[in-house]
Amino acid sequence: MGKFTKEMVDDYADKLLIGLTPEENKLVLDEFDVIDKNCDIVNSIPNISSVEPMTQCLDDFEYELREDVAIKSDSIEDLLSNCEEKENREVKLPKVVG
Amino acid sequence: MKYMNLSIEELHKLLKKGEVTSKDLIKESLELSHEVQEKYNAFVTILDDAKETEVTDNLLSGIPFGVKDNYSTKGVLSTGSSNTLKNYVPFFDATGYEKLKNVGAVMVNKTVMDEFGMGGTGTTGHTGTVRNPWDRTRMCAGSSSGSACAVAAGVYPYATGSDTGDSIRKPAAYCGIVGYKPTYGMISRYGLFAFASSLDHLGVLTRNVKDAAIVVDNMKGIDEKDMTSWDSSNIHLADSLDGNIKGKKLCYIKEICNLENYKNPSEELTKHLNNFKDKIDLIRKSGVQVDEVSVDNTLLKAIASTYVIISCAEATSNMSNLTGLSFGPRGKGSNFKEMVKDYRTKGFSTLIKRRFVIGSYVLQRENQERYFKNAQRVRRLLVDEWKKIFREYDAVILPVGTGPAKKLQTDSLDILTEGTEALEEHLQVGNFGGFPSITIPDGFIDGLPVGLNITGNCKTDANVLNIAYGIESLMNYKNQIAKEEK
Repeated sequence: MGKFTKEMVDDYADKLLIGLTPEENKLVLDEFDVIDKNCDIVNSIPNISSVEPMTQCLDDFEYELREDVAIKSDSIEDLLSNCEEKENREVKLPKVVG
Repeated sequence: MKYMNLSIEELHKLLKKGEVTSKDLIKESLELSHEVQEKYNAFVTILDDAKETEVTDNLLSGIPFGVKDNYSTKGVLSTGSSNTLKNYVPFFDATGYEKLKNVGAVMVNKTVMDEFGMGGTGTTGHTGTVRNPWDRTRMCAGSSSGSACAVAAGVYPYATGSDTGDSIRKPAAYCGIVGYKPTYGMISRYGLFAFASSLDHLGVLTRNVKDAAIVVDNMKGIDEKDMTSWDSSNIHLADSLDGNIKGKKLCYIKEICNLENYKNPSEELTKHLNNFKDKIDLIRKSGVQVDEVSVDNTLLKAIASTYVIISCAEATSNMSNLTGLSFGPRGKGSNFKEMVKDYRTKGFSTLIKRRFVIGSYVLQRENQERYFKNAQRVRRLLVDEWKKIFREYDAVILPVGTGPAKKLQTDSLDILTEGTEALEEHLQVGNFGGFPSITIPDGFIDGLPVGLNITGNCKTDANVLNIAYGIESLMNYKNQIAKEEK
């Protein structure tokens, strides 16, 4: 794995469709540098790779699935109520093709 | 007469006797909201048209309260303190809020937070910095900054909060009040703006432990809209409070609490830890066993990075729906990519952008093992350590942060710096494990409040709150209202 560089920060930001100033780019690298050093410490924990990753707080939790019954969905009018540009019952966007 | 400095039970009694009306309380709370807004900038929205409700046997009926701005509130602006949602008005209520509304509680304002809950300073909200009501040159911490500020300033007896790392419990300490996050899933997360779903909790900020119990009794419950919620109908928090803590077993972690572990400790840190040890002596005298235990320092030092990696990764995924296309202010551009980029670049604060980029990086396939998976592994090791402690003890008791509220004028706000002590970040373990966790005030340093935290095993909320209730009664910091000395 290569080092996280200024160019990589800009590349990841661009993929996220976020623009960064040079100052913001530097802040990412500064914070990441601390994380990276801490990860070195974590990697020194004996047998760390054999620990099962924990993805949920209550990972012994038994989910109770609701009945498989169709419920009324939200109205299109409600769903579009915060959309700044719409046409009839659809979100209006610039042309993607053609 | 001022009423908003009273507890929920006191207000309820006055309402039932007819000595005050819901309308009177709302009027007073709204007047105070405007005063506090002027001084400390605690609110995104003040609901001047809030209406009184019928006073019933429910303790919360007719009483005003505040709601953190990441709770969806039907027909009321809900921004998450972000420019990207500055005009967003939900068409549904978050379950946690809806339950309070349904028992007649009256929302009078929406409180400022760090943008989407992703900060710990109260400085990244789109409406500006929230100032501490004890000293306005200091922060409230975050992200439930406005809620903590308003409760401490006496705007109402309680406000809702959310807590992904310590966002209820640290602002509570900095503002001299109580902050309680129950066990994960005890309150439905439906309608809360998701930050990091495996760590997000709803909770409450109050001025005493009993009020926290009363409010959460009314917010909790299984919800078919949140599959991680669970049935807690057999848990009655307020009714379980008897203050009898004799014979309880608590412990503190020596690597976090002992002053000799810190090189050149500041005067504030020294006073804070000495104050904590004084309180431990006081608690012991009441018949509680308090032991010192040890936890591997490597794990403790990894808490902060573990939190940043997991929360950033989950946030990056959760926030992908923020495009400005189907909701939010439209960005400019000739195609949808340009529009989204314009919306995000202009709309997100520096902090949020940084967190998203880090989240994206640690999720890349080639980086997952070293960062994301290892963070999840450390999460398990830390939770296992705490669970091991809970096999022997009712709860862990620890000081909150490195002292009182920090000054706002520093260059390093909310930047994870080398040397960040476990003392500053240990509350995040409560989110890793979903543990019930409550902060209560435990004294003053140079006129500013400090707090201690009590955290127990999952679903032992009643026991944890009762311990906090008992300890609160040993000290004189219950129901305090912030007073600025300057």
